[in-house]
Amino acid sequence: MTALLAISEIQSALAPAGTQAMRISQLWWVYLTVLSAIFVLVAIALFIALSRRHAVAELPAPPFAPGEASERRTSTAVTLCVIATVIILFVLLFWDFFTGRAIYALTSDKEFLHIKVIGHQWWWEVQYQDPTPSNVMTTANELHVPLGKTVKLELQSNDVIHSFWVPAMHGKKDLIPGHPTVQYFRADKEGTFRGQCAEFCGHQHAHMRLEFVAESPDKYEAWLAAARQNAPNPTTAMQQRGLQVFMSNQCIMCHTIEGTAARASLGPDLTHLASRSFIAAGAVPNTRGYLAGWIANPQNIKPGVRMPPNPLSSDDLNALVDYLESLK
Amino acid sequence: MKTRVLMTICCAAALVSCKREERGFRVAPPSAEKIETKSLSDLHPAGSSVAPPTKNDYRENAYAVSEGEKLFAAYNCVGCHAHGGGGMGPALMDNKWIYGSQPQQIFSTIVEGRPNGMPSFRGKIPDFQVWELVAYVRSMSGLGTSGASPNRSDEMKGPTPPSSMPKQTPQNSSLPKSAERPPP
Amino acid sequence: MPGRNYQATRYSGLDQINTGNAKDLKVAWTFSTGVNRGHEAAPLVVGDTMYVVTPFPNILYALDLKNGGAAKWKYQPEPASAAQGVACCDLVNRGCVFSNGKIIFNTLDDHTIAVDANTGKEIWKTKLGDINHGETITMAPLVVKDKVYVGNSGGELGVRGWLTCLDSNSGKTLWRAWSTGSDADCLIGPDFKPFYKKDQGKELGVSTWPPNRWQIGGGTVWGWVTYDPESNLIYYGTGNPGVWNPELRPGDNKWACSIFARDADTGAAKWAYQMNPHDEFDHDGINENLVLDLPINGQTRKVLLAAQRNGYVYMWDRTTGEVLSATPFIRITSSFGVDLKTGELHTNPEKKPMTGKTVRDVAPAAPGAKDWQPCAWSPRTNLLYIPHQNLAMDYQGTEASYIEGTPYLGVNVKMYANGNANRGEFCAWDPFQKKKVWAIQEDLPVWSGTVVTAGDITFYGTMDGWFKCVNAKTGDVLWQFKCGSGIIGQPVTYKGPDGKQYVAVLAGVGGWPGAIVAADLDPRDPTGALGFVNAMTDLPQKTTKGGMLYVFALP
Repeated sequence: MTALLAISEIQSALAPAGTQAMRISQLWWVYLTVLSAIFVLVAIALFIALSRRHAVAELPAPPFAPGEASERRTSTAVTLCVIATVIILFVLLFWDFFTGRAIYALTSDKEFLHIKVIGHQWWWEVQYQDPTPSNVMTTANELHVPLGKTVKLELQSNDVIHSFWVPAMHGKKDLIPGHPTVQYFRADKEGTFRGQCAEFCGHQHAHMRLEFVAESPDKYEAWLAAARQNAPNPTTAMQQRGLQVFMSNQCIMCHTIEGTAARASLGPDLTHLASRSFIAAGAVPNTRGYLAGWIANPQNIKPGVRMPPNPLSSDDLNALVDYLESLK
Repeated sequence: MKTRVLMTICCAAALVSCKREERGFRVAPPSAEKIETKSLSDLHPAGSSVAPPTKNDYRENAYAVSEGEKLFAAYNCVGCHAHGGGGMGPALMDNKWIYGSQPQQIFSTIVEGRPNGMPSFRGKIPDFQVWELVAYVRSMSGLGTSGASPNRSDEMKGPTPPSSMPKQTPQNSSLPKSAERPPP
Repeated sequence: MPGRNYQATRYSGLDQINTGNAKDLKVAWTFSTGVNRGHEAAPLVVGDTMYVVTPFPNILYALDLKNGGAAKWKYQPEPASAAQGVACCDLVNRGCVFSNGKIIFNTLDDHTIAVDANTGKEIWKTKLGDINHGETITMAPLVVKDKVYVGNSGGELGVRGWLTCLDSNSGKTLWRAWSTGSDADCLIGPDFKPFYKKDQGKELGVSTWPPNRWQIGGGTVWGWVTYDPESNLIYYGTGNPGVWNPELRPGDNKWACSIFARDADTGAAKWAYQMNPHDEFDHDGINENLVLDLPINGQTRKVLLAAQRNGYVYMWDRTTGEVLSATPFIRITSSFGVDLKTGELHTNPEKKPMTGKTVRDVAPAAPGAKDWQPCAWSPRTNLLYIPHQNLAMDYQGTEASYIEGTPYLGVNVKMYANGNANRGEFCAWDPFQKKKVWAIQEDLPVWSGTVVTAGDITFYGTMDGWFKCVNAKTGDVLWQFKCGSGIIGQPVTYKGPDGKQYVAVLAGVGGWPGAIVAADLDPRDPTGALGFVNAMTDLPQKTTKGGMLYVFALP
C-alpha cells in the first residue's frame, strides 16, 4: 500500500508537477466528474425504471393504448436528454480542444531548453543541446530540468518504437526510428519523478525507466556545470586499478567516460555514474552491492539486457566498483 | 492411428522450433577452453591427428544469429568487412577463407587476430558473443542453417526506387520514331 | 617531387613528344614491382636514376636509366603487417621526394624514411604515428629547403589529423600542426587572419565539436602540400571530420575539410578557410592547391586553384584566403553553391543525413567529384586538366560507436553513376571562363593523375588499363596503349641520359575504387569498400591485379 502511495507520488498523471500535466489532470477530473455524474444519473433512472416495471407487473396488463399525454412526456424527455447530451459533449469537446491548445501553447516559445532524448533497448540516452557544440552534455537515464523554463524534448529512436512518458510532466510521446518527434513541457513543482517507456519495446520494456528531477534554476545550473566536467581522475590505488580494469576489459567496447580513452556509445555514458540514484535504467538502486552484482552478471537482474556478464576476479571487480563509485 | 502420427509430427515440429527460438540469457555458451585448435595444414608428418570440430551451439538459433548480426555492426566489423562484401578487410560472403571456415577457426580469428590486419579482440568481446558472431559470419556465405538465418538484410539494397530514377527517353526500335510521343 | 614543382603544376617543359608525333610512342622498357596492390605513386627521376615506391610493403626501387631500367638497389622498410588492417582504401603510397642526396618517403605504418639516393642505405627513420590509433601514412611528403612535411591518413578510423614538419637532415620532428583541438595545438597564433567571419574566433578547433570529440575528429592531411617560395607559405587541405554520420558531431567541426596557409618555417597558420563546415558526405578538402599567378579582371592575382571533392573548382586569393570563385564542375545535388561574400557553402537540406534515414542521389558521392588524383596546369594553354570521377550515392545513417583502431563511420553507402552519366571524365577546365573547354567521357572513374607538357600533350590512364595521350588544346586522343592492369598512378615525363624524352607510369589497379580487384571484394554487397563496390561491379571483368612500370618513348 505504501509502495503504491509512493508510486502515486512519483509516477502518476494525477499528481501533476508541470503545466501540461496539470491541464491533462484537470481534463481528466472534468471527464471523471461529468461522466460519473451521468453514469450515476443513468443508473438511478435505470433503477427507477426497473423497480417501476416490477410494480406494474403485478397488475393486469393494460390495453396497448398509450395516452397522448404520456407520449408527449416521453418525447420531451428524449429531446431534453438529447440536448443535454449534445451540450455535455460539446462542453467536453471544447474543454478538450482548449486543453490541447493550452498544452501546445509552449511550442511557440522562443526561449527553451533543448534536450535530445534517444531511446535504446532498454535505456534512455539524454543529450543537453547547446549553441556551442562543446557544451553539449550527454548522460543517461536521468533528466534534470529547471523550474519555470520551457523544455523542448527532441525524441529519437535508433532501434524500435519507444514512448517517452513522465506522467508528472506531460502525456506520452512516441519515439519512432528515422522520424524525430518533439514534446514541449514546463515543470512547475520541485521534486523527483519517474519516467517510463510506455510502448512495448522488447524483453525489458518494463525496466526502461528514467529519473526526472525538477529543481530550482540555481540547482539545475550547478548540476549541469558539474555534469559537463570530465570524469574525475582516480585518486586511490584501487581506483587506478579499477580504471585499468575498465580500459582492458569489455567495458571499453560499449561505454564512454569523458576524459578517458573510453568513447564507445553502445551503452549508457558513465562519466558521472556515481551521481545517479539508479543503475540499469531504474531497475535497481545505485548501491555498491547492486553495482557489483550488475557488472558481474546483468542477466540476473535484467534478463535479456544487452550488457554481457563480466567474468572478473573479485579483486578486479572491487577495484572497478571503487573506480565507478568515484565518478561523482 | 492417424491422430497419433499427426501429434507426433506436431511435437517434433515444436521441438525444432524450440531450438530455433531459444533465448539463452542464462545459458552457458560453448567456452573458449573447449576449442581444439584445428591444424592449418594438410601436411601431417607421421600421420593425421586432427581433432573433431567444435560444434557451435548457436548455429541453429535464430536469436543468436540475429544477435551476431547486431554485434557485427556494434563492434565496427561492418567498417572493414561491410555487410559481407569486404573493404578494408576481406569479403566474408564468398568462398575464400584465408584462415579457415571452421567455427573454431573463425573464433580464433576474432579472439587472436591475424597477422595481416585483423585485430585481436581478446578480452574485449565475451566468448558467447564471439560464438554469436561466428554463427552470423558463417551464415553470410550460406554455411548457417537456413531456418535460423533471416531471409532479408536490413541494410540498403535493391534497385533505385522509382522516385529517384533519372528520367529516361523511351526507346522502341520496332516502332517508328513518330510513335514515341510525350504523354498528353 | 610528384608534383613536378612546389606549385604542383605537373607541367613539363619537354617538347620532343608533341601532338604531331605522339602517335608513334612505343614501349621503351618495363619493370615489375612485384606488388599487386594499387599503384598510385609517381616515378621520380633524378639524374640517371628513377625511384619507384610501391604500395605496402613500400619497397623503394632505384632503377638505372642508363641500363634499361635495371634495378640498382632496393630498400625494404618492412612495415608492420598489421598496418594493412587500418588502411581505409587499399594500401597505396603516393610517391617519394628527392632532396639533397636523399630520397624521402612514407610507409603505411607511420614512418618517414630518408634513404641515400646513391647507395640505398637508410639515413634516418622516424616514427610519426601509431597504427593502434588507426593512423597510417599514404601521402607523398613535400620537401622545402631542409624541411619535410608529412601528414597522416585515417579519417575513417577517428584519428586526429596532423601535419608534421621534420628536419630533412636528422629526421627530428620540428613542429606538428594538429587539424583539431586548441589554437596552440593547431599552431594558430596572433598571425592568424582568416578572410571570412565564419572562420574567425578563438579555440574553434575545440568549441565547434561536442566535448572531447576533437580528439577523434579526423581532419587528416593525406593529400598534397604545395609551397609558394615568394611568401614562404605552404598550403594544404585537411580531410573529413571523424565519424562520417554528421548527426553524431553537431557543430562546424573545425578544422576538418579546411585549407590552411602556414609559414613554411614555423608552421604558424596565416589563414584558413573551411570548405565544408559540418561535412556531411566525406568531402575531404585534401586536394592539391596549385600555386598560380593569373590575370583576373585585368590584374595579376596570386591565386590557389583547386578542383575539390565537393564538386567545385575553387580559386582563392592565396595571400588572404578570399574565395575568388567556386564553380561546379559536375552535377551537384548536395549543395547549391558558395556565397563569395560570406564564404558559406549552401548545403541542400533535402539531402541532410540522419541516423535511421537513407538519403538518395547525393552527388558528388563520398569520394567526391575528384579525389586524390592530381590535376595538371599548362601555362601554354592556360587550362587545368582534371582527371576525375562522376558518382552519386545513397547514404544511410546508422549508429556509430568509437572503438580505438576500428572504423568510425556510422553510415552505409552505395554509389552509382551520377545522373545516369559516365562514371569518369578527363576534362580541361578554363578558370577564366569557368567552364570545361573539352571533356573525354570515360566509362570507369578516372583515378590516375595527369601530366601536361610543352608539346601540348597530356597523359592519363584508365582503370581498365588504357594509357592515353591527349591533345591538350582539343582533347583529341592521339595515342593509347593497353597496360597489363588498370592505371591509377601518376604519369611523369623526363629527359633520359640519352637526351630523349620518356613518359613513365605505374600500372596496378587498386585504390578505393579498385579495391574490388586488388583486395578481391565481393561485388554482391553494394556497401563493400564503403559503398564503392556498387559502382565498380564490372571492374573484375575489365582488369586484373598488377604492378608494372611502363616507360614509353618515340622510336
